[in-house]
Amino acid sequence: MPRKPPRLACFLVRDEFVLGDLVEEYNTCGRSDAWFWRQTWSLLWFARHGEKPERKRRVNLLNDLRTDFRYTVRTFAKNPGFAAVVILAIALGVGANTTIFTLLNSLALRPLPVPDSRRIVGIYQIFRGNSPRNVNGEASLFSYAEYQKYRDQNRVFSGLAAYYPFFRATLAGETPRDLIGELATCNYFGVLEVRPSIGRTFAAGDCANSSHVVVLSDAAWHSVFAADPSIVGKAVTLNRLQLTVIGVTPPGFHGAQISAADFWAPLPIEPQIDSHASLKDDNLSWLVLAGRLKSGIALDETRANLSVIARQIDQLHPGRTTTLSVDVATFMSTPEERRDVLTVAKVVFAAVSLVLLIACANVANLLLSRSSARQKEIAVRLSVGASRGRLVRQLLTESVLLALPGGLLGGMAAVWLLKPLFFLLISHFPSDIPSLSLDLKPDLTVLGYTLALTLVTGIVFGLAPAVQSSRPDLTSALKMEGSGSGPHGSRGWLRSVLVIAQVSVCLVLLISAGLLARGLQSAQTIEPGFRTDHVFSLKFDLAQQHYNEPRAAAFHRLLTERAASLPGVDGVALTTVVPLSMESWGSQITVPGRPDKLEDRYTMVSPEFFSVFGIPIIRGRNFTPQEMNGNARVAIVMESTARKLWPGQDPLGKTFIDDEKQPPVEVVGVARDSYTHSLSELDSVFVYFPLKADTQVPLKLVVHSNAPAAQAARSLRAAVRGIDPNVLVDLRTMDQNLDMYRAPAVMVTELSGALGGFALILAAIGIYSVVSHAVSRRVREIGIRMSLGAERRDVLGLVLRGAMRPVLVGVGLGIAACAAVSRVLSDVLYGVSPLDPTAFGGVTLFLIGVALVAKLAAGPARHPHRPHGSPA
Amino acid sequence: MRSRAYLGELEQIVLLALIRLGDNAYGVPIRHDIEKRTKRSLSIGALYRTLERLEEKGFVSSRTGDPTPERGGRAKRFFRAEPPGLQALRRTRHALDVMWEGLDLKRI
Repeated sequence: MPRKPPRLACFLVRDEFVLGDLVEEYNTCGRSDAWFWRQTWSLLWFARHGEKPERKRRVNLLNDLRTDFRYTVRTFAKNPGFAAVVILAIALGVGANTTIFTLLNSLALRPLPVPDSRRIVGIYQIFRGNSPRNVNGEASLFSYAEYQKYRDQNRVFSGLAAYYPFFRATLAGETPRDLIGELATCNYFGVLEVRPSIGRTFAAGDCANSSHVVVLSDAAWHSVFAADPSIVGKAVTLNRLQLTVIGVTPPGFHGAQISAADFWAPLPIEPQIDSHASLKDDNLSWLVLAGRLKSGIALDETRANLSVIARQIDQLHPGRTTTLSVDVATFMSTPEERRDVLTVAKVVFAAVSLVLLIACANVANLLLSRSSARQKEIAVRLSVGASRGRLVRQLLTESVLLALPGGLLGGMAAVWLLKPLFFLLISHFPSDIPSLSLDLKPDLTVLGYTLALTLVTGIVFGLAPAVQSSRPDLTSALKMEGSGSGPHGSRGWLRSVLVIAQVSVCLVLLISAGLLARGLQSAQTIEPGFRTDHVFSLKFDLAQQHYNEPRAAAFHRLLTERAASLPGVDGVALTTVVPLSMESWGSQITVPGRPDKLEDRYTMVSPEFFSVFGIPIIRGRNFTPQEMNGNARVAIVMESTARKLWPGQDPLGKTFIDDEKQPPVEVVGVARDSYTHSLSELDSVFVYFPLKADTQVPLKLVVHSNAPAAQAARSLRAAVRGIDPNVLVDLRTMDQNLDMYRAPAVMVTELSGALGGFALILAAIGIYSVVSHAVSRRVREIGIRMSLGAERRDVLGLVLRGAMRPVLVGVGLGIAACAAVSRVLSDVLYGVSPLDPTAFGGVTLFLIGVALVAKLAAGPARHPHRPHGSPA
Repeated sequence: MRSRAYLGELEQIVLLALIRLGDNAYGVPIRHDIEKRTKRSLSIGALYRTLERLEEKGFVSSRTGDPTPERGGRAKRFFRAEPPGLQALRRTRHALDVMWEGLDLKRI
């Protein structure tokens, strides 16, 4: 009984005789199906390619590549301007993308700079349900009790460490210094596998005995202790607690957070150094967890194991469900940070992708115009037997060869420029923000990203022109009738689409940049509603100095008196919140007669506050000294708040409730509006309360001094030192605060301005190339028109009208697109409308102007006068 | 004289196999004969490609034979070496002989 050979293979072998041979051998010699398939394959192969396929093809491919390479280099050497423009365009696009990606990589993708860092896992919790939770830092952190459970019950980590990040401590000394450190469990360095460069790190006993020891970072050792070689064993005083230095970390290690830590102290000494009872609070989020996976344990297994522990803990807190976020630890791995980074990254990546898109459209356009100029060459090659695939391959080789140096240039520019750019950007922030331990060096991830981006750019945007141009109309192309397909032919259509895309995308970027610039202008000129010049704010670390309340009150009283007597000082006030200091206090109030609870922001101030900041009380009165001491239930509200709460009524004498257990608060005055929390919007409800002498929250002193700034600052510091030399003063001018708030706007505006500039350059190049191409293709037509008596002006108009059409369509689309998306920018527009007509109109006219210039440069300058003599 | 009057190696091998097989020269025995003697495998694609080229040049001819059941009722295609093919074989062999004359690869 004959067997049945594979049916599909039989179908593929179309020759009856050959199939007969195959079936015969299959049956009589007992060949396998695989054999049958191999033979079928050989038939198909030979039918296409002739003898000895594999080797010959491979050699061909290599040969072709080499030929294409040489050919490409020769063509570009002949036309270096073209190559330079293309390479530059790609460099701009790839460079912008690589820069942003490198930054993102350093921030959020790169694992921690410790040995075998891919095995270090960060754990965070996301709570659901309405179980109350105390938070110090971010809600996704752990309490000490939770940490202990995870540490003791997991079976996936070789070690699990916990630390309290961003712990501020005052280092005592001639001038006290503010240091940022971490309170860590004693296995912290073991888990991260960080060995000290001198001395030792924590031993288990340090935690068991709550030893007063500290490990310094290499950077702090250099900057604070002048790299003292005998530092180990010396005593330092942090928050009035004496600690012994036991070691220094190696250079380059700054802890596991983005802002560099200066020191590490054992977690169990928290009650003495921080004077909170955080360790005992089982429901407080304050510790970051980092574990090292045992070898052979995967992330999935880890998640499964840890979620069992999470469920056990949930049973202790009714109404709470915890999900864990478990991933390789990076500098930004808390869910909150990731969300923020992602939000920003999305917008920025959208912008840089648009720049790349324009660059690509540009390159495609240039390649397209070149390839139609090369129609004759291509036609010749096709007619002497080049296959279409071979031609496409050659054209693709060319575009990839153009993309590679472009990508290289862009990548290198990104690497070199990123650091200065980054520091330029963050230099808009005041200099005393914590230093960032960012490693901005590119790694393999960045390299891969850039390479992939470059290749994709080269291939995708070389493909369309390559496929199009390898399909010319041979007869007319050979006769060199360049306009064979006519201005409205398929190629003209593709080119128009490319121009439309370029112009519209460019317009989106430019209008965004314009809007942001307008927002910046508005932020620079915006009146915060209070005086900022000659006003100083002073913050103290009394809690870290173990001041109790009576001592703190005495300190404040004494300092107020002494500051008021300084030369030039004409106003001193105390407040809980300094305007525009990134700090705010909020609660909820209810107004009689209104059903809803309102979110409010409030600050407690002494009566002098309003005069120091020059905020007029426009109705009613200021607080009285009596109200500072008694338990007066009075408040001053902002003008806009009064309008909102009691529209059309006299706010004076009205009441609201801020605490159910207390009598209602009576409004005694109305203050002019001021921006205290954000420069972009007024708080909807803002209330001033009188500052009580026994207020427990840390107070700030605000001072107005007519003395020169440096002198005033010096004398204020001296006044503090005169009272307690150990107290650390954070002294700022209100102008510094204002700069801090304007910094994001400046940064965003600079960034978008740069991107918009890139886009504009690219789009102008694109328009130029399209017009010059359109003209060169119509040289013959133009020549005929002119010899029939057409004026130069008419011809110019003809060419411009044709070429301007896609630009105008692009402008329309761009405006529509930008109007649709500009709302995402409203946070940094500072009151400017997202549809601001100045920005939209101005930028649009600007772009059209640039387009016209590009056209004029491309159009008449080269051609209309030429046809007279040339055989057009 | 035609420019491609000389034969490639596989062309020679296939022509010689046809002569050997005589009246029974169709796909299956041709491949078997070549594989048996030269100890090299020859795919059916390569064989038919060569045969077709030889036929184009007029060096071989083919005729349709009878269908057989083990072929699924498909007919055989028998090939035969034609005089121009035999001439080309001789010419090629002569050229090779001339070139080999007096050479001894072992001494080089």
